[in-house]
Amino acid sequence: MPEAIPSGGRSVVGTRHPRSDAVAKVRGEAAYVADLTFPGALEAAVLRSPHPFARIKRIDVSRAASLPGVAAIAYAGNTPAIPLDFAIKDQYLFARTYARYAGEPVAAVAAHTKRQAEAALAAIDVDYEVLTPVLSIDEALAPGAPLVHPQWRTYERSAGRVLRGNVCGYNRIRRGNVERALKRAWAVVESRFTFSAGIPGYLEPRAAVARREPDGGLTVWCGSQSPYSNREELAAFFNLPLDKVRFVNQFVGGAFGGKILLAAEWYAAALALQCDRPVRLVFSRHEDGLHVFARHGGRALIRSGVAQDGGLTAMQASFVFDGGAYSGYGNGAALIATMLVSAPYRIPNLDLEATLVYTNKQIAGPVRAPGGPQATFAKEVHIDEVAARVGCDPVTFRLRNMWDEEDESPAGQRLRGVSAKRVLQAAADAIGWGTPCRPNRGRGIACSWWFSSCGRSEARVEVRADGSVHVTSGNPEVGTGAATGSLPIIVAEHLGTSPGSVFLHLADTADAAYDSGVGGSASTFSAGWAVLAAARDVREQLLSVAEHALEARRDDIVIGEGRLFVRGSPEHGISLGEAAALAGGVVCATGATPQIDDPSLEHPARLEHHEFAAWLAPSFTASAAEVQVDPETGRVTVERIVTAQDVGTAIDPAGIEGQIEGGAVQALGFALSEELQFGPHGIMNTGLGDYLMPTIADAPDIQPIIIESPSHEGPLGAKGVGEPPVTTPGAAIGNAVYHATGNPPHDVPLTPERVWRGLAQSRADTTSAAEFPHETAKTR
Amino acid sequence: MPKRVPIRICVNGQPREAFVEPAASLLELVRGTFGLTGTKEGCGTGYCGACTVLLDGQPVNACLVFAVDADHRDVLTVEGLTTHEGGLHPVQDAFVACGALQCGFCTPGMLVSTVALLRRVPYPSEADIRAALAGHLCRCTGYRSIVRAVTRAAAALAANPENPALPQPARPRGMRSRA
Ligand code: FES
Ligand code: FES
Repeated sequence: MPEAIPSGGRSVVGTRHPRSDAVAKVRGEAAYVADLTFPGALEAAVLRSPHPFARIKRIDVSRAASLPGVAAIAYAGNTPAIPLDFAIKDQYLFARTYARYAGEPVAAVAAHTKRQAEAALAAIDVDYEVLTPVLSIDEALAPGAPLVHPQWRTYERSAGRVLRGNVCGYNRIRRGNVERALKRAWAVVESRFTFSAGIPGYLEPRAAVARREPDGGLTVWCGSQSPYSNREELAAFFNLPLDKVRFVNQFVGGAFGGKILLAAEWYAAALALQCDRPVRLVFSRHEDGLHVFARHGGRALIRSGVAQDGGLTAMQASFVFDGGAYSGYGNGAALIATMLVSAPYRIPNLDLEATLVYTNKQIAGPVRAPGGPQATFAKEVHIDEVAARVGCDPVTFRLRNMWDEEDESPAGQRLRGVSAKRVLQAAADAIGWGTPCRPNRGRGIACSWWFSSCGRSEARVEVRADGSVHVTSGNPEVGTGAATGSLPIIVAEHLGTSPGSVFLHLADTADAAYDSGVGGSASTFSAGWAVLAAARDVREQLLSVAEHALEARRDDIVIGEGRLFVRGSPEHGISLGEAAALAGGVVCATGATPQIDDPSLEHPARLEHHEFAAWLAPSFTASAAEVQVDPETGRVTVERIVTAQDVGTAIDPAGIEGQIEGGAVQALGFALSEELQFGPHGIMNTGLGDYLMPTIADAPDIQPIIIESPSHEGPLGAKGVGEPPVTTPGAAIGNAVYHATGNPPHDVPLTPERVWRGLAQSRADTTSAAEFPHETAKTR
Repeated sequence: MPKRVPIRICVNGQPREAFVEPAASLLELVRGTFGLTGTKEGCGTGYCGACTVLLDGQPVNACLVFAVDADHRDVLTVEGLTTHEGGLHPVQDAFVACGALQCGFCTPGMLVSTVALLRRVPYPSEADIRAALAGHLCRCTGYRSIVRAVTRAAAALAANPENPALPQPARPRGMRSRA
């Protein structure tokens, strides 16, 4: 592994710069897929099942095919009969014998106008036999429940993956002897939680344009988080040579995990392969809502044992997540939940399990920090309940039990750079923990941990004779600013120039700079490594050129202000462009992510069906929130959110603050208002008017606090940044509501009705008031 | 095929003519017919604000306005904010400087609404800003940087009031908000 943290100072890393795409975006010049024009393009539309569960007896497209303007129809009858490439092979491109959620694609049409395409959809005859759907976890797990996948036994699946009827994922971590420890505990506290499903909430609905090329290849214009892996998947599915398939990524109007998997691209491509013209498919908001990869709904049961001195002795936790109709990437949330629930606390006896179940609902997917907001809410509100039981202040209780350096994770990973106490203390101090609160106000705190991911990434850095600096990375710019913020900063740091002068090329698979995509807080980590390696190489080459040109010793040459000059005599130097000209017109280098091994586990025997227990460069995050609760209506107003996040090395502090602030408001939506509602005919709120994301009027004052504790694995000491800040603020809001009302909230989101019912409950229930006196609550 | 209707409309200071279907929205006209794709469509139903343009100086959701209703009126889109020499409007400058954008999809709508706000209320309080922009969803930023950018733009405009000279609104109107 190359040197992660360079010795010596840093001049650009850690400073504030506008992102390199900011000007194009404020001018309205940044092009998203729907902004592209393709003369003569056909418009596509997708026919979706109106039933949550139905058997498809017959599909007849002949009437539709004869309608005016119709150029192509794709459906199960004329597309490959092979399942999509997931760990459980349970899904086809178009519904075949069964349609398993209301909104599942059944056919797609390309026509000269959108209106013609939609008219053709209405003329496709589908004979459905409506079946009884499974619409909740309870229904899915009930004895004798109808099977969402009647043929589940025939499915191929990857080794170790649990599949049993409606259960399509299960994992468990066990340590010590929980039963005995709970029996011996001074007190046992039990909490049950439920969570509603949600949407990623990106503003740009999904869209794609696909065009068959004269050489038999296919070009796809998309706005994806992972164009390279999407391309591999699509090429394999349609049996096209990989080098003939090109994905051209555009600016992406937000993604948040919801644009990792192929969507509009599939149907545009399936149609384009039958046509001589480009096919354009832009989802409407309603359609995007039907095709969503949702944040998992689910439930949790947590039971903890505590000693009289406030030490946690045991935890038993059981999550069940609603995976929807197909397993997809849904098991990630279950794996992560078991890793989060007992952390970052030292608990010697653990039994932590999570189950993923099939239902006839939209597929649950990898939404920003899968399982993170849910598991963090559950465990952190539960921890406050335990603290209350032992009569201890929530911050003191956490510090009492929190991991220190060299402590071990649930599966026996020795932890280094444990900043849990630092972030907790920083958040507590910033919110004014311990100072009095007005009536009906409350403060809450929450702390958690997360991982960094390192995928495969390649980059090219070049300095041209005109002095321009170019970076080609396959890392898509989806809004987070990893590509347009931290990558230019890393390059500028090494080439002595300003980030604003670094030109970044958007991901295009024709450029052959592979990247495994945005997800798992991986961008700055993996693409950062690739760009760092290339930039270091270019720097060395430039120094060699300058050595000769300036007749100076290498050690005496300084790179800065876009020039190479001799230390002490800045006039004796050459510009970067001149150096490139001397080197034959261009100085360039490629770089790739080094091999970074997963941390080792001392106790792998504690794991059952768990393949995500070793966490690379883990980081810690704490949030504190202050809320006001209206006792008459139950309405919660969030007044402040503070989030202290350990980011390793803060390469791009402005970008990091943007992630923390955006994460806080997404978490606020998760905690208070966002809720997908399902009726007998599927999702009832696909629109943005009835799925309530926070507006600027709902957003509180947010204070981001960056904590640096450099990692040994990340480029320049970085850790993953994007996901952690959406995990803790919701839990902090939950605890703030707990302390404002005296009633721990257990059902998320905390709608006014639920909070009001909680208030009524705590007014009626004097025992709970004795357990948690109002006087104490008010000082928090 | 419904009969198309001729309209005349002033877009970003330029007189334009078009034949539009009676049911076509102002958003389709601006993006499709005129190719001004800076204005975005996030929902098409009036809830996200990404499609906001100024119609006679007032912010409207272009997805909810019929193109025919813009006949003989003034439309300002994000493309009309830059000066003739291509320089950024102070509001655009402030959004860049404050990092008030990430994916940028909400940005064009936020910008034109801010321009309308600052013409009506040159020194807005934070509450004014939050009220004026409540019809715009942003999923990325958490809005804090947007509040700062608007404040910064107000200060910049106050320091140099004739920059840039944009048409004044015909009449002030109440704030729009989500349903
Ligand atoms: S597109 Fe007009 S308000 Fe969303
Ligand atoms: S910057 Fe992405 S929605 Fe506002």
